[in-house]
Amino acid sequence: MVEFILGLVVALAVYSLRSGDLLHGVLALSGLSLLCAMLFFLFEAPDVAITEAAVGAGVSTVVYVWAIKATERKDKAQ
Amino acid sequence: MRRAQAAGPILGALSLMALSALVLWPVVAGDSPWPLAPGDYLEARGQAESGAQNLVSAIYLGYRAYDTLGEAIVLLVAVTGAIGMIASAGDARGGAADTRFGGAARRRTELLDVVTGKLGPVVLVFGVYVMMFGHISPGGGFQGGVVVASGIVFLSLGRRSSHGPRITRAGTLAAVEALSFLVIMLAVGLGLVTGSGFMGNPLPGASPVVSIVVLNALIGLKVGAGISLMCVAMLAEANEPW
Repeated sequence: MVEFILGLVVALAVYSLRSGDLLHGVLALSGLSLLCAMLFFLFEAPDVAITEAAVGAGVSTVVYVWAIKATERKDKAQ
Repeated sequence: MRRAQAAGPILGALSLMALSALVLWPVVAGDSPWPLAPGDYLEARGQAESGAQNLVSAIYLGYRAYDTLGEAIVLLVAVTGAIGMIASAGDARGGAADTRFGGAARRRTELLDVVTGKLGPVVLVFGVYVMMFGHISPGGGFQGGVVVASGIVFLSLGRRSSHGPRITRAGTLAAVEALSFLVIMLAVGLGLVTGSGFMGNPLPGASPVVSIVVLNALIGLKVGAGISLMCVAMLAEANEPW
């Protein structure tokens, strides 16, 4: 279980680095934070899990999405 | 040239991993015993000394309250910087934001209104629960404050007009943050007057869990107001100049 989640975390991290669309990368990071929160919960650290879910998956996604909305695409082709 | 560009980040990541393995290797492979004394001490006497069943709360508002005060100040500085950047970005762009993002009216959907409007109060109640019961169950001021901030962001997304509930207005949130930080400073300084020292238990007769609960509530208010002020300011700046 833990190895599976860790593998998913690595896959999501690589995807968010390699994906061409910034929005897809941000959503992948949000899912990564949720998986990390699940890992923290499995390792009996519920306080950290709450923080990771609220900050990583919630607030930081809002901030990233706002930043993407407030800026412009560099390459118009995609 | 292109291959060299692609290899750069991978080489960087590999060397970073090698470096951290080099640093961590003595810690993992060394035969010196892992320090267990603080953990044993907390397990044996933490609950009796602080009165908090949740030992995490006992540590970060009891034994290590200085660190928590520092974290609160760091967050205050970060929010101040973000608000400054958002305000100057709004000044530079002027009123052009309205036309570029298509205005507030066109992006409203029934789905967004119903889901965020109905979910917001529930998330707020859960956040206050996490905040106030941090000494018993997992959670505390910081976690509860961030959940409260998500609830306020929900309410602010679900509003139909620019005059939403008072809790989603930037002025109210700024006042709550400033006031709660002032009360935190007064509360940790109260020990100087009553004789238990800075950050000491202000009421010498009372159980120390009282100060943990009060500090949890104050820090939750401060964190929630600060983070939601940042998000509300960003959302408002994307819709209309504020």
